[in-house]
Order: sequence, then structure tokens, then C-alpha cells
Amino acid sequence: MSHNVQSNPAASVNDAEPRAGSASMPVWMLVAVMVLVFGGGLYFDTYGGWFSPQVYAPYRSVNDLMAYQPVSGEGAFLLRGKVVYEQVCALCHGADGNGKPGQAPTFVDSEWVITDNTGRLIRIPLQGLNGPIKVKGVDWNLAMPAMGAALPDADLAAVLSYMRNAWGNKASLITPEEVAAVRAATASRTQPWTAAELEALK
Amino acid sequence: MNYGALIFLVGFIGLASSWFGLVLAPQLQLGRQPITKIQGGNDPYPSRRPGLAEQGLQVYRANGCVSCHSQQVQQSGTVFDVVMTELGTNQPAVVAALAKLDSKLTGASLSSLPQDVVRGVNKLQADEVNAAFKDTGAKVAVQIRPVGPDMDWGWGRRATVAADFLQDSPVMPGSQRLGPDLANVGVRKPDVNWHLVHLYAPKSVVPDSTMPPYRFLFEKRKIDRHASPDALQLTGEAAPEAGYEIVPTAEAKALAAYLASLRADVPLFEAPMTAK
Repeated sequence: MSHNVQSNPAASVNDAEPRAGSASMPVWMLVAVMVLVFGGGLYFDTYGGWFSPQVYAPYRSVNDLMAYQPVSGEGAFLLRGKVVYEQVCALCHGADGNGKPGQAPTFVDSEWVITDNTGRLIRIPLQGLNGPIKVKGVDWNLAMPAMGAALPDADLAAVLSYMRNAWGNKASLITPEEVAAVRAATASRTQPWTAAELEALK
Repeated sequence: MNYGALIFLVGFIGLASSWFGLVLAPQLQLGRQPITKIQGGNDPYPSRRPGLAEQGLQVYRANGCVSCHSQQVQQSGTVFDVVMTELGTNQPAVVAALAKLDSKLTGASLSSLPQDVVRGVNKLQADEVNAAFKDTGAKVAVQIRPVGPDMDWGWGRRATVAADFLQDSPVMPGSQRLGPDLANVGVRKPDVNWHLVHLYAPKSVVPDSTMPPYRFLFEKRKIDRHASPDALQLTGEAAPEAGYEIVPTAEAKALAAYLASLRADVPLFEAPMTAK
């Protein structure tokens, strides 16, 4: 017997280090992992709020939260303006209102934004603006597209009011009625304004 | 065994990923939140608690109140109510508009406003109802109302959010509710004396209470000539024998001031509601 054990090849294996082999992963496990990852992704998308510190259950995202904000008062008006600004204007003028070199001038403390002559300001987004313009001592020569067709009076008033009261600016609010009046007065105009024309406005 | 490095690496990645997910991510998300503003205004929120209440926070912590009381209201949804505040001059038009809506409010009950036109509807329905009154001259207001079991209990009007704790250190939102939620206990019970009596003898003011009495926060004194102005007004079994009085210590006063200061009931951007 003992002689047999010694000659058994298995006995020499016992003396050596044990080694783990490798085997391929079962296909069902791969599928299960993919289903779990997909389910996790869906769950995250629904309840994660993209890690925004402002989103709490039962709200799903900041946009969802927006729908539940109070619909009246100055705060809500400016909040609406912020939403519109970030959707429409921030692309070129920057979310911080500082503009972008070679793209769009700044709004911060800009004489065109905080002007008392609101008619000038309202005309710029309504029909656009072309050609040279001096903003805070810097010369620009660009084309601002007309936004009048895309923005209703209330939204345009909200976004202009937001611009006049954000980033340290302090100026009066612009009402939807003011915008409607300017829109009616300039209904026949199809061409963008020039800075010289706007400055001539009383 | 040649796998020491691999086992170490797997263990390290496992611990590191949970540290990233459970410590670092929340810290990046909420750790540097600035003082926020009350929705619809410029008032900063939250303001600091009064000095005595700040001391009371430490008494609350030292006595383990947090192991039985949570300070976080949860909400399961948000609904809209449409309230008519003014009738205007064109009553027939208002009655006609009401008739088209599925409302409990009828022409007969219009004499005493404000009244709810509809309650518990979603945003779209609320906007529809609002639009229905646009040309009638009546003034209606759309109100935002968080709902959920905690709101039904009367524990708060909206969900608690991180901003509510910005002035507290440490933050004690709690995880067990052996007692009621305290996020808004200062709204429900604003009276400091009520809290003192409740701490000394919970059953004397809440018969079903399971809270242990915290009598070591009070002093029993023999009345010497004049009774102390701080002495508790106790009745029944809780009252001391004649000639003695129960006086709260500084700790008890601080804790009561802290409890009375607990209120998280202003509308915030992240927790919208219609303020009352």
C-alpha cells in the first residue's frame, strides 16, 4: 500500500503549491450583469437628479422642480427670466453674463442693459442688431440674431428683467406690456437694428 | 499563493469605491452649501438659532434624544389647490365657469371667500382651472401643497432638505421614530414652558407618551419665603409636595429653547410650497 501511495502522481501534486485554473464566465451571468447595469442606469436616471444638491424626492430634476415653483410675484418672474436666459442667451453671452470674446459682449454693468431707455434694450432681441457697437468702451462688430419670433412678450420681459437684476446689475423691471408696446410699434421692421439707429431713439 | 497583490487590489478598490460613493460624493454634493434664500424673497435662510437654543442643541445631543426622534419630514408628492379669493363683479360668468368645472364650489357658496375651487390636482389641471376664470373677473390663486404621510400627521408642511441644517453642528436628522418627528416641533408647540413640563413629566401633558421623564435636568427645592419665578406649574401626580418647587436647570432651559426653535416651514427653491 505505502509503496502505491508513493508512486501515485497525485502525491507529488500535494507537495506543490495549489494553483487555480481559469474557466470562462457563464453566459447567463454576463446577461444578468448587463440587466443589472441597465436597471441601475434606469433607476439612476429616474431618481438620481444628476447629483444636483437642489433635487430631493419626490422631485426628479431641476426642471421638474421648476414646474412646482410659485407662479406669481417678482421672484417667480425673475426665476422665469433665468430659465429663459440660460436656454436662449447663455449660449453666446455666457451664464455669468460676461459675454465671450469674439462672440458676444458683456451684460454686466453694460450701459445697453441697465439703460433707462428700455425701448432701446427691448428692440435688440426683438429684431436683432447688426454692425459696430461700443459696449463699456470696447468696440464690437457682430450680428445678433432676432429672437422676437421665438420669445413671447412675457418671456422676453422676464429675461430682460433678469438681465437687469442679475450679476450685480440693478435696474427697473421690464413689464410684458412694455414689450408688447414696442413689438407693436416695430411690427413693420424686418431688418436688424444698428447701434446708431438705437442711439437716435429718444 | 501568488495572488496577494490581486486580493489587496480588489479589497482596496472595494473600500475606495464605497468611500467615494458614501463620503466624498455627498461631501461634494452638499458639503459647501451656502446660506440659501427663502423662496420668493431675499431673506437669508436659515438664520442662526438664539444662543440658548444653540446650547440646547448640545443638550439634545448629550441626552441621546436623536436615538428616538427624527428631524426630517418626508413627502411623497406635491399637489395644487386652486383657491378663489375675490369674486369680482361678474358673478354669472363665475357661476358659469364653475358649472363647467368638476368643483364642489357652487354659485350658492360664493358668499364667503376665499374658498377652494379644486383641491389636490396636478399642475395641468390647476392651469386649466386658472385659465377658466381668466375672463370672469374673479381672482383665483394656485397654491402648491406637498403631501405625504408626514404631512397627514401634521409633522411639517414640506420635506426637510439639507439647507434646514446649515446652522447646526452636529447635524442630527435622526433615523428612528420611537417618538414624533421634531423638525417642526417649534411650530406645533411654541411655548417653552410646555416643553419644560413635558421634559419633567411627559405623561402629565401627553397621556399616551412613552418618553422617559428627564427629571435630572430639574431641581427640587424647598420654597424659602418666595417661590422661584422659574418654578414649573405642575398639576396632579407630577406636582411636588406642599412647600417644594421644581426648578429647571440651565440645561433644561437650553433644551426647551432649542426645541421651541425647531421650525423648518419656509418655502425654499428645492422644497416649493405656498407659504401661509
